[in-house]
Amino acid sequence: MIEIKNLHKSFGGHEILKGIDLSVDKSEVVVVIGPSGSGKSTLLRCVNYLEVPTSGTIVIDDVVITPKVNINTIRAEVGMVFQHFNLFPHMSVIDNITLAPIKVRKKSVAEAKKEAMELLDRVGLAEKANAYPEQLSGGQQQRVAIARALAMKPKVMLFDEPTSALDPEMVNEVLDVMRDLAESGMTMMCVTHEMGFAKQVADVVLFVDDGKILEKASPDEIFTHPKNKRTQEFLSKIL
Amino acid sequence: MDFDLILNSLPLLGIGALVTIEITAVAVTCGVLIGLFVGIAELSRYKALRLPAKVYVDFIRGTPLLVQIFIIYFALPTVLGMRIEPFIAAVTACSINSGAYVAEIFRSGIQSIDKGQTEAGRSLGLTWSQTMRDIIIPQAFRRIIPQLGNEFIAMLKDSSLVSVIGFEELTRKGQLIIASTYGSLEIWTAVAVIYLVMTLSISQLVAFLEKKFNGKKVK
Repeated sequence: MIEIKNLHKSFGGHEILKGIDLSVDKSEVVVVIGPSGSGKSTLLRCVNYLEVPTSGTIVIDDVVITPKVNINTIRAEVGMVFQHFNLFPHMSVIDNITLAPIKVRKKSVAEAKKEAMELLDRVGLAEKANAYPEQLSGGQQQRVAIARALAMKPKVMLFDEPTSALDPEMVNEVLDVMRDLAESGMTMMCVTHEMGFAKQVADVVLFVDDGKILEKASPDEIFTHPKNKRTQEFLSKIL
Repeated sequence: MDFDLILNSLPLLGIGALVTIEITAVAVTCGVLIGLFVGIAELSRYKALRLPAKVYVDFIRGTPLLVQIFIIYFALPTVLGMRIEPFIAAVTACSINSGAYVAEIFRSGIQSIDKGQTEAGRSLGLTWSQTMRDIIIPQAFRRIIPQLGNEFIAMLKDSSLVSVIGFEELTRKGQLIIASTYGSLEIWTAVAVIYLVMTLSISQLVAFLEKKFNGKKVK
């Protein structure tokens, strides 16, 4: 589903990603862990070209992504959930969700609304359809943001630290939605600090540090027998 | 103070005030349209759009409105070889002037919107222009209502400058009445009070709009 080869990304001469190779299969859940500033968010953001890679290739669903292909059509297939939700504050919850299906997928308003209501029901927020983002808690906002991304029926979902900005008591409601999504067969890449979630849901855990994938293993292996010394140090600090 | 003179002059001054409102409304409306496009151009990736926008804004903001009025009313006709009506000259000068200030208001308003909003829009597959139109501009617009109100007030006062080309707005009407009645004190006081009433009314209107729009956003 996703093939990344020798991906490099520099910001003003400073190299953040130093050659990433990664392949993600359909329905696979990949969790990316690592210290702050290691490049894990940048890796995720390169996948849908919110950051343009300095070099390397990214293939999503057999389409090679270059600046020449219509990036909007690819982004429509790749859902993204942000740390700070980034809901549109001037729109109601339902309008947040239906905007892209109507504008990009050219759906009728009625059809988009019907699907949006189904998604809201799925994330347990059907009664908030006409609320505005500011009236929702952080956890509710993030669940709406997930519904908004799902409304495009993406082939892949990217999660960039989706629970890092949440109060502790709201983390689980978001993780529950993500767990359901993983069980439904969605292909997912998640950057997260929630090791419990990684253990339970991930098929593969990547440890990224200093712009490289230092270790790639099943959650069982990486959490019980990390091979790389830096992985060991990192896990000993947070577990 | 001759109050009868003021009372007798009120109908004429009232007409002048309406003309002042008319020219201000037209100028600021055109200014908002110009300013929206120039403000977006200033933020463009393309230098071919950025550069002319910046030259326009710098030129207008760096020169007096009075000189701009003279250029359009006196200098431009010598190039075009035709006379420009005072109303057209006045509205054109004020619109072009207002556009530059509004452009800066829009530019800073757009820049004040969190980058995450653009990223969220683009990540959903919306194009740059869809993201601007449906996500960024509506939020920026709500945020800049107070500055647009200030621009409206500033333009209402500055429009008195077009009296120098004989365009009969409020200030010019005052001058004309004084020329035949010599009631400087009465008329200029009355003119000042009329301007004050208009600017205070606009402040109230802007405060109301601000409340209405921001109320809608939250609730």
